[in-house]
Amino acid sequence: MKRFYLRAGAALACAVTLTACGGSDGELLLGGSYAGVTKAGLVLTNGDQRFEVPASTAGNGTGSFYFQDLVSTDDEYDVKVVGMPDNVDKCDVVNGKGRAAFNITTVQVICTFKKHKLSGTVANLRASGLILVNGSDRVEVPAGATGFAMAEVPEDAVYGVAILQQPANQACTVANGSGTMGKNDISNLTVTCAP
Amino acid sequence: MKSFLIRPALALALAAGIAGCGGSDKAEFTVGGTVYNLLYPGLKLTTNGTTIDVAPPAKAGDQTSFAFPNKLEYGDEYNVQITGQPLHQDCTLASNYPTNADTAGRLAQIAIPYSCVLQTHTIGGAISGLTVAGLVLANGSTGGTVAPAKDATSYAFSLPVEYKQTYGVTVLTQPAGLTCRVSNPTGTMDDVNITNINVVCAPNT
Repeated sequence: MKRFYLRAGAALACAVTLTACGGSDGELLLGGSYAGVTKAGLVLTNGDQRFEVPASTAGNGTGSFYFQDLVSTDDEYDVKVVGMPDNVDKCDVVNGKGRAAFNITTVQVICTFKKHKLSGTVANLRASGLILVNGSDRVEVPAGATGFAMAEVPEDAVYGVAILQQPANQACTVANGSGTMGKNDISNLTVTCAP
Repeated sequence: MKSFLIRPALALALAAGIAGCGGSDKAEFTVGGTVYNLLYPGLKLTTNGTTIDVAPPAKAGDQTSFAFPNKLEYGDEYNVQITGQPLHQDCTLASNYPTNADTAGRLAQIAIPYSCVLQTHTIGGAISGLTVAGLVLANGSTGGTVAPAKDATSYAFSLPVEYKQTYGVTVLTQPAGLTCRVSNPTGTMDDVNITNINVVCAPNT
């Protein structure tokens, strides 16, 4: 009789344990870092789990993310990108696949911004020496040029083209030199030189 | 009789062993290592009373090896210190390496890694006439933006600029009712903070 109760008790404890620990409830974090995310739209999955990554608050598009559901020891995980912000070309997952043994903090999602051309026209440039800059991007414009192109600018990034060096014996000014890159190339910058 | 023979034999073996390990052929250790991303001359490293100059590599981006001419004996302590920084750069012990000071012979090889980064300096200037908020200045697409508050009299970008990098400050957004102009907006970074990119705002006419 005693033995019978013990057996029932053990079975009950077993059942309780299974409910608490089993199923999809795990005990390990699954996540890591992302880069190139300046707006909402990045959606990640691991199996049937889905996670919408909020836009970075850091201002530089970087941050960290963790799936809301935990994974269990020995679970296989495979993080995939199923949605991207509309200002990126692609999002690559690094270290996205493996078998969980401890908290996983090393998944990296790296999104690459769409880039667009930034260019303009030049009027009356007769001498050499004109150098334009957009921050650290530096472009020399030769004498007689009627146009110029700066390095491509990521979508949604700002730009500001200014003159680092004037051509010999001429003074040039830039119009429409600053703004924010949209979905299309910008080609309305004008550099006008005198005399 | 047997033990009588064994004892001298042991003593002989011991003596031979001592002669083999010590004495004339002492182990010598060279203190050396590698410097990553050294671009300019001036780096000086010092240990055990000797200072060496580490020259940048012929090809920018390559790593540079260094070795002190004074060899150390087993058990000598060394402590390599940076006693001179190169021009325009800051070098430090590589972040993944535990120590620049140890005892010769403890590690199989004394190879200390250093890494160097270009110095950066801030850019900014004075502001006058900014009677309302709303001004946004940009340093191109790479240097970030800054939004000085109403009545600010100076500003600086939070992102600094590396040595030899260009900068160009433009007005991204004019404050309501004002037109702000930037003087000395462009340049190439040297070794000091830039504080003369002045902004003057005046009411629109």
